[in-house]
Amino acid sequence: MSGDVSAQTTAMRLPLWTRAIAWLPEARRRQLGLLLLTAAALAFPLIHDNDADIDSAANAASYATLALGLNIVVGMAGLLDLGYAAFFAIGAYAYGILSSFQLMPPWTPFWEPFAWLHLVEKMNQGGGDLVHFTVSFWLMMPVSALLAAGFGVLFGAPTLRLKGDYLAIVTLGFGEIVPIVVRNWSSLTNGAMGLNGVAAPSLFGTSFGIDATPYYYVAIAMVALLIFISIRLRDSRIGRAWMAIREDEIAAGAMGVDLVRLKLMAFAIGAAFAGMTGTFYVAKLQTATPEMFGFPVSVMILVMVVFGGLGSVWGVVLGAVILQLLQSWFLQDLSGWLHVLGDLVGSPFLQKIDLVPSIELIFGIILVVMMLYRREGLIPATRKVPALSFDQQHAEVRRGGFSALSGIGQEDAPGAPLLEIKGLTVRFGGLVALKSIDLTVPAGSVVAVIGPNGSGKSTMFNVATGLIRAGSGSIRFAGEEILGLAPHEVLKRGLARTFQNIRLFPNLTVLENILVGQHARLRTGPLRAILRLPGTRAEERAATEWAMEIVSVFGNRLLPRVSQTVNSLSYANRRRVEIARALASRPRLLLLDEPTAGMNPAETLELAEQIKSLHKLGLTILLIEHKLDVVTSLADIVVVLDHGEQIAKGTPAEVRQDEEVLRAYLGRNSQAGSAGVV
Amino acid sequence: MTASDLLLQQLINGLSLGAMYALLALGFTLVYGILELINFSHFNVFMIGSFVGLYILQAFGLSGQAVILTGLPLAIALLTAFVGTMLVSGGLGVVIERVCLRPLRTVKGPAAMITTIGVSYILFNVVLLTIGADSKNFPNPLPDVQFHFGSAVLRLREILIWIIATLLMIGLYLFVQKSRMGKAMRATAQDPEAARMMGVEVDQVIIMAFFLGSALAGAGGLIFGLYYNFTSFIIGFNAGLRAFTAAVLGGIGSIPGAMAGGIIIGLIEAMGGQVVSVAWTDVIIFSLLVLVLVFRPAGLFGRLAPTKS
Amino acid sequence: MLSEITASVPTGGLLLEFQDVDTHYGDLHVLKKVNYTIGQGEIVSLLGGNACGKSTTMKTIMGVVRPTRGRVVFDGKPIEKLSTAERVRRGIAPVLEARRLFTRMTVYENLEMGAYTKPRGADFDADLERVYSLFPRVKERRAQIAGTLSGGEQQMVAIGRALMARPRLICMDEPSMGLSPLYVEQTFDIIQEINRQGTTIFMVEQNANMALSIAHRAYVLQTGQVVLSGTAAELRQNPAIREAYLGEMQVAV
Repeated sequence: MSGDVSAQTTAMRLPLWTRAIAWLPEARRRQLGLLLLTAAALAFPLIHDNDADIDSAANAASYATLALGLNIVVGMAGLLDLGYAAFFAIGAYAYGILSSFQLMPPWTPFWEPFAWLHLVEKMNQGGGDLVHFTVSFWLMMPVSALLAAGFGVLFGAPTLRLKGDYLAIVTLGFGEIVPIVVRNWSSLTNGAMGLNGVAAPSLFGTSFGIDATPYYYVAIAMVALLIFISIRLRDSRIGRAWMAIREDEIAAGAMGVDLVRLKLMAFAIGAAFAGMTGTFYVAKLQTATPEMFGFPVSVMILVMVVFGGLGSVWGVVLGAVILQLLQSWFLQDLSGWLHVLGDLVGSPFLQKIDLVPSIELIFGIILVVMMLYRREGLIPATRKVPALSFDQQHAEVRRGGFSALSGIGQEDAPGAPLLEIKGLTVRFGGLVALKSIDLTVPAGSVVAVIGPNGSGKSTMFNVATGLIRAGSGSIRFAGEEILGLAPHEVLKRGLARTFQNIRLFPNLTVLENILVGQHARLRTGPLRAILRLPGTRAEERAATEWAMEIVSVFGNRLLPRVSQTVNSLSYANRRRVEIARALASRPRLLLLDEPTAGMNPAETLELAEQIKSLHKLGLTILLIEHKLDVVTSLADIVVVLDHGEQIAKGTPAEVRQDEEVLRAYLGRNSQAGSAGVV
Repeated sequence: MTASDLLLQQLINGLSLGAMYALLALGFTLVYGILELINFSHFNVFMIGSFVGLYILQAFGLSGQAVILTGLPLAIALLTAFVGTMLVSGGLGVVIERVCLRPLRTVKGPAAMITTIGVSYILFNVVLLTIGADSKNFPNPLPDVQFHFGSAVLRLREILIWIIATLLMIGLYLFVQKSRMGKAMRATAQDPEAARMMGVEVDQVIIMAFFLGSALAGAGGLIFGLYYNFTSFIIGFNAGLRAFTAAVLGGIGSIPGAMAGGIIIGLIEAMGGQVVSVAWTDVIIFSLLVLVLVFRPAGLFGRLAPTKS
Repeated sequence: MLSEITASVPTGGLLLEFQDVDTHYGDLHVLKKVNYTIGQGEIVSLLGGNACGKSTTMKTIMGVVRPTRGRVVFDGKPIEKLSTAERVRRGIAPVLEARRLFTRMTVYENLEMGAYTKPRGADFDADLERVYSLFPRVKERRAQIAGTLSGGEQQMVAIGRALMARPRLICMDEPSMGLSPLYVEQTFDIIQEINRQGTTIFMVEQNANMALSIAHRAYVLQTGQVVLSGTAAELRQNPAIREAYLGEMQVAV
């Protein structure tokens, strides 16, 4: 009681403007915050007229852009890149070489058109006429971004198939090779001496010179642009696919995400951010040396990303700014204060202490402490959704059912063979997992595969969906050979699956999981994601509507939980989300691997009805199942596997009478106990 | 020098470097075999090992090349230096595991690897800030006995390095093959859960892997000092990366592979420096690393592990 | 249907007991207030479909998964807080699902690993002789790398490995999985033989009828709960086992 009163009085005492903010809706509040932040950033050099501090702020901003780039690679796509500074170097040297006196080939008429474009000028230093490169800073910003992106693809292409930690080492190797090449290729880069006389940018004929303020504004503009791009990408089809890869690469591939393409895209976009920043950085310093781009720089950017929060756009900007300002302002000030303290207490140690060199030690400590105690960083990327209320959790279970789902099951004429497996054999080492299997799934039918654990059922699914690429024989889908296709290619053609041991994207919400399922059916590429034109908006809206339509089929089971992350769901609900995710891809054939495993009888029956209603819509289903009543009630054809071989095939009733099946399931004692069993 | 003498000389140098890299590579392989973790802190455990060796040798009154020992005093000084260095660096490895890595053992993703980068940075900067950036002259108490083959020179210290490294590697191999703990380590590397259910205390096995790996890295650090006559805070990165390449080359997780990989990298460094140029040695080694990882991720001698679905 | 659960009590003294055991994987509730009793000298079978909690039961006995509530009592003493190694020392040994041999070690080394908690000596030699006499094939192959053996031979090594710990209780996780019918029969004969020699067996099995043919008693597990239990003879007669078998259940809606 007293607590309530004091809380009320505190609220009363708050100034009016605070209460006004509390009244604003969240979107408005965010806009207001953004506005204030922008105003503060723009006003800073006007209020605080200290060139060194403005320069530090510009540096902090350029590190923020690097952190934003690495965040796309490491935070969103989950690819640990330890050689990120290499792309920074490429952008820096690209501009440095094309705007300095480093390269001066002899003048020939070949250069005339370039001179006309103001890319070069003719020069004479006593000998013959020479070429002086004078490529504009503003032109080089996008060019460097593209160049670095190109190198990103070049470095990424051979390595992206590697397991995560090997990728880290290979990128580290590339990160080392680039500075070494720079150091040794002196004719191009002036080696360890560094590039000198890089031209400062100029705008409307006025050079930036060495005044920090214009650089500061360019850096702020870059940060704003890259935050915008990062957020647009994150909230798009592309960002969802990256996060799906980060969460579970195999499931992402099986849901239609082209792993190589999306990973290369992350690498290239991250590299582009770094390339652009490199150009800016070298223009600001007007020099470049190989030491500026070594392993310590890559680690520093990684520290910023980890500190701010892997995957969190605002977090990494904050992390970069804090760490850069810690280095350039705070440690110096702190050292100064300690000197004063040393003078006061007469301690020669304190009088001489210099904390600035300990910055790397601090980086190391930050990495370890963040990993041990706060892996989500300063501003976590995944926002916590409040748990369901008691009422929501205990709301009456309303069964859904698929009465109509637009575009499901209408494509294929019933009866024609949709999936044809012929002579499929799979070997792992000496072990034969599948032995010349033949299986036909007619369109519009439900085919069930049964057999003891270890008999090869899941292997068959894995080969059909491209997860195992070791089979011989033939798998035709709608007449087309699909054996050996990558998982995303298989999905694109209309086979979607679930997994026996459930592979969802645990830190994504139910809705996001289902949206990833639509990846192959949506068009938005990175450029459209960034521009978000009306077409893209409409596509996203339709995708969400479609996802909700599928969710509502499961009734109250999933509907109240669409914004929960799936790692908080029950076993049965995870199975439902997985089926919903597979349906989201508008499959022509749905492969369900033990959809009712771990469900109780009521849940099993409920799901069986839902599967049946899908079948009624005309969807073709291939099903692995152990529960015979589910099989009996759903399947038109049952195929029995044992030791990788098909031992029986027929209607459920026929299979139940089959001697071979009895033996496989029941062993020697089938006579004794089978009366009551099958 | 004739070409063949030059080749012989680089072979001698390469084998010495290779012995050092092999010792360091074993640490990567032992830890990776059991935890599937690339341990970046290993780079600087090696560096700290060389400083520990330096201080122990200095405690014997040795400095630079001024004091030469022979006979028993030499044996005692070297034995103490190696044993002491290995104990201290092994202990350091155990502390790193216990404090920084064990809490992360069940965490998926790159968290543990990022932590080892952080630990490596801490070790590196603690040495830089306390001992300083200038390189330290390393005592070399060995008499300067030389054997000449044409114009190629084989010195006593190289022979000693080979003997010590060989003994350590044979010791490790026997330990892993024959001892109860060694068998538990192999079992854990193959199937941690099954090993645990046999009664293996997996924590002990992991501690042992860190201890042995770090101790060998310390021995490698001491060998670095004896070979190059200096040490510095900065030596860990290049040597560590080369040793890691060696481990990958031999098939990471494989103990004989790490030994062979170390020798190969040592020879490439010596020959590459001779044939191409020292400036490009690193590019050659890193390119090799990338090529091996891309085209033969199981290493030159490794077999591909069967993939579980 | 659930009312048909018969109280199932072992005849001899108690060896292993689960008392109201709950387990969780993160947010997932796997075993829900589960009770088992296993008497000295029994073969007890645990039946149920995939993902019903059978393997979690195994892991809870071995200490790989810790219960969030409830007690696990072995030989009269609570063991739920003990390490796996300590449980092995007290006499519980596993035969893991799909054998899980150390495939790059020799057969002999695999047997040695089974006796990891025991000192070398006369006992070890006697145990080794016992395994070799039960499985002459294993003796022939003792120097071979375990990964090169056939599935049936691997199963023998896996059982031999468990015996090397001189266990009082052997926990078997799906001993029939992936084996051809001939090997399944051999394996079940061996299990009965080992049991006659005095070792208690707790066996998770999907092959229900096979398991009931050698078990004394059985439990049926479904979504983490025991829904049926009784002597093997009772369960074979019980029409409900028909549904429980292969997880088949009919539900009144």
